[in-house]
Amino acid sequence: MKLEDFGTFVIFAAIYAASTLGLPKLLFLAYHIEIGVIPTAFVAIFGMPAVFGLTLGQFIAGIGFELSPIAMLSPAISFVGLLIVYFARKFSTLAGCVAYIIITSLWLSYMLPIVNGTPANVATYSAFAGQSIAVVIGYIGYLIAVKKILPRNAQPALKR
Amino acid sequence: METAEPSRDHVQYYEHSIWPALIAFATGLTAVGFFFLMKGVMLIAGLLLVLASAVILGGFLYSDTRNWSRTLSKLGRIPMDTLVGAFPVDITLTIQIIIMTELLLFGGAFGMYFAIREQFAIWPPPGTPILDDSIARIQTLILISSSILVEWAIWQLKRGRVRAFKTGLIATTILGALFPILQFGVEWPHLLLNNILTPATNFFGATFYLLTGIHGAHVLVGVIAYGYTDIRAMMGQYSPKNHGFVEATSTYWHFVHIIWLLLFALMWQGSRV
Repeated sequence: MKLEDFGTFVIFAAIYAASTLGLPKLLFLAYHIEIGVIPTAFVAIFGMPAVFGLTLGQFIAGIGFELSPIAMLSPAISFVGLLIVYFARKFSTLAGCVAYIIITSLWLSYMLPIVNGTPANVATYSAFAGQSIAVVIGYIGYLIAVKKILPRNAQPALKR
Repeated sequence: METAEPSRDHVQYYEHSIWPALIAFATGLTAVGFFFLMKGVMLIAGLLLVLASAVILGGFLYSDTRNWSRTLSKLGRIPMDTLVGAFPVDITLTIQIIIMTELLLFGGAFGMYFAIREQFAIWPPPGTPILDDSIARIQTLILISSSILVEWAIWQLKRGRVRAFKTGLIATTILGALFPILQFGVEWPHLLLNNILTPATNFFGATFYLLTGIHGAHVLVGVIAYGYTDIRAMMGQYSPKNHGFVEATSTYWHFVHIIWLLLFALMWQGSRV
């Protein structure tokens, strides 16, 4: 990561941390949607600075709520999912996003019953639904950005 | 101050001055003076030390501002690529060293916070008020907006859109200036004067003012740096190939932003756990 990418890194960290800590919880039916997950698909445009930024943002958001060791592992799991989105961008960003949803939802399904005492089945479908809704919203934004807003030469990650 | 005017053939710039050493000395005097005053011992000596440092700083400001009009008019005549502080050189190492020193400072400060926190079974300690985070949320929004704006401004400059760059840069400065105004002009007075949370309340109060104070001072430095960058932008000193100082300032600003996110998580949200 070059020094000039530092801004992108910080902006993504800020979007994740501030939206999680500062914005009210977004509920869709029974599902809790994490707003910070929405920019996941944009990793395909902004590259590794966005991967590191979103991971750091998740870590910062985590220390704002609790310091339980298992919850602090979430950024590492998320980092793996984001890396898949990054490396999958050349053939299919959508496939990367689906992999991200599966990895993070499985982790949340395992973690939530331990940390919050949420029943396993509720944790599972809440995690999958919440993550899917957030990532799909971001993916739609990503498609709009790629097709309508950004010129081809302004997509650094896609060029590599 | 004696300055050598750079030219296209000789871009080295030398400045010999006693003022950096004197200002460092004055800063030390201020710290010792305030220590005496706050501890209530040797009040006269403390007052004299603070006054002496004020005299030194005043002397610097007087001698420096006397030369500003001459310096600025000189800068206007220098070809763009040979400007003072804007040489077409790689400033990456410089800003990396600055960020590393800042990391050490804030690393120590956060280390202190966690060391104190570990001493308590319940954190924040009982009796700590739940802080209203409305202003902190606005401050977070300000920093995010300013970070995005300055990146947009640099992006515009790289594409030769100088007017858009200047607009973005000035908007960033205005947003940045709002941050310390909200902190030192609104939130701190509200908490202190209404006796909601003071440094004497408990350890949480002490660490709150220490950490947010250090951070606020860094934001102030960032705003001053942006102000200086604005002046130079207005004088047409940046171009798509020559904008190292803007990059350096924005990197510093982003770093300050990251620290704020940690503070927001630990001090405001953390006070609710």
